[in-house]
Amino acid sequence: MRSVTLPPDTPVARRLLSAMQVVHWRNTAVLIVLLVGAVLMLLPFFWMFATSMRPAGEAYQLPPSFLPDDIRLDSYHELFASPVPFLRMYWNSFVVAAVTTIGVIITSAMAAFAFSRTRFPGKNLLFASMLLGLMVPPALLLIPLFFGMASVGIVDSIWALILPAMTNPLAVFMMRQFMRSQPREYEESAFVDGASYWTIFWRISLPQMGPPIAALSIIVFTSSWNNFLLPLVFVRSFEAMTLPVGILSLESSFGGAALSIIMAAVTVAVLPLFVVFLIAQRFIIESIASTGVKK
Amino acid sequence: MATLKAREARAGFLFVAPAYVLYLIFLAIPLVASFGLSVFEVDRIRMDFEYVGLENFDWIFTDPRFWTTFRNTFYFISMSVIGNVGLGLVLAFALNRVLPTPILYVLRLSYFLPVLVSLAFVSFIWKFLFSTDLGAINYYLRQVGIGNVGWLTDSSVAMFSVIIIDVWKNVGFFIIIFLAALQGIPRSLMEAASIDGASSWVVATRIKIPYIAPVILFCATYATIGGLQVFDSIRILTNGGPGDATRSVVMYMVSEAFSAGQLGTASAAALTLLVVISIVVAIQMIIARWFLGER
Repeated sequence: MRSVTLPPDTPVARRLLSAMQVVHWRNTAVLIVLLVGAVLMLLPFFWMFATSMRPAGEAYQLPPSFLPDDIRLDSYHELFASPVPFLRMYWNSFVVAAVTTIGVIITSAMAAFAFSRTRFPGKNLLFASMLLGLMVPPALLLIPLFFGMASVGIVDSIWALILPAMTNPLAVFMMRQFMRSQPREYEESAFVDGASYWTIFWRISLPQMGPPIAALSIIVFTSSWNNFLLPLVFVRSFEAMTLPVGILSLESSFGGAALSIIMAAVTVAVLPLFVVFLIAQRFIIESIASTGVKK
Repeated sequence: MATLKAREARAGFLFVAPAYVLYLIFLAIPLVASFGLSVFEVDRIRMDFEYVGLENFDWIFTDPRFWTTFRNTFYFISMSVIGNVGLGLVLAFALNRVLPTPILYVLRLSYFLPVLVSLAFVSFIWKFLFSTDLGAINYYLRQVGIGNVGWLTDSSVAMFSVIIIDVWKNVGFFIIIFLAALQGIPRSLMEAASIDGASSWVVATRIKIPYIAPVILFCATYATIGGLQVFDSIRILTNGGPGDATRSVVMYMVSEAFSAGQLGTASAAALTLLVVISIVVAIQMIIARWFLGER
């Protein structure tokens, strides 16, 4: 009786075995390189945080520190007490990002509903013309937008930041793609039961849209929070300023002398992004990965 | 039945209206206005429009600064595409192996974190890291005997510093996309290759890279289109300096429009940018047809 489970001593098996060992050794080497790279990627953030914890007088002291020497919140106190209304800017950033996100979600979901669940003359033309908008870089529209909004008096207000950002053909496209992949039987039976289009949209279609709504919320919120060009051009006064431009004016009003205050400001500004990322890491990465594969 | 159809059409129009009206006001009309503005000489004080034909284009095409900004932008693009796509590919290959989950989590977190944080915020951090006498990077370069590098003050280095930041910030995005593409390669293909005794280098260059070539092409195009609009980091780091060494096309456009008040020439510059972007997209589509059409 020969055992059939005996590993066959063939050249192929031996080669496979040695290949596995080579791969294993290589794995460790690659892993070390990857970990060193990962630390390098994070160092600027560590430096930012450690510097924000230094007293203003020692901010520039070398060697630089990447972990706080001790917890000192002086620069945070100074930041909030500074003549530049940092809290106001923080609030502006939040309001602009939140209103933009809600606006984009509602308008794009409605448009997606129209494009995927109803028939009306010119539907394909309207949709195609919106897709064309995907190609237009935002910088191109600055000049006409600025003078258009100036003529109706909303330049230098948060609306100058919200309204242009609420126009988002990508969101319409993503929502429509998702809605098309969903079965339409529920909507049809509700329609037969005599429900209005609004009821169908609000009660049946919208609740199915969880995944694209979540993905778009993260994309739209963070890109609004991060936007620099629009507020730089459209906003002059502190009352309507958002964080990226606010920190720039903080820097020019304090000069380089207030390095730790500026780093405190950047730390506080990036905090929400870190939180969003830690909560939704897997989800964010999966949605990005799928855009690349599907093209 | 006609009434039902009419009701459906009305609902369709109403649902598409919010998104489409926003699209018209904040994207389509400004775009057309941009085209219009480019053939006028605009007096901003009297709001006086004088038709000048193609003179604005003539002006920017004979302005050496315009060509400098174009050269800078293309230098930035070529280096940032090589850096982002090349390093992204290498790191994706490195990450594409069986790793313990906690390590994978940490790696993914550190490589991806900068992607989510805006260029504006991280530019403040890098501005001080790159500082010539007081910066962290030069401190360590002095320690190992290399001495000071004028990261942001030497006109031959400054653009390279901008590119370093760009790659640091964006490489994580490309890693995720490439990693997803690599993991989508059919296992049978890999197994067939390993049975034939192909080395991992051959597998990488003959199977994996050709297989994900469409994704690589997509990423290169994406990075190019993004690079044509480079603005935020340069505005914060060097404001176009030293001299004009880092001034980009969008910076040229913004300063023409909002500092010099030359709306016509600024619009002409913006349109030139749009044309270049369209050409890039067209070239990408042609390459995709020719080389990848078979699949």
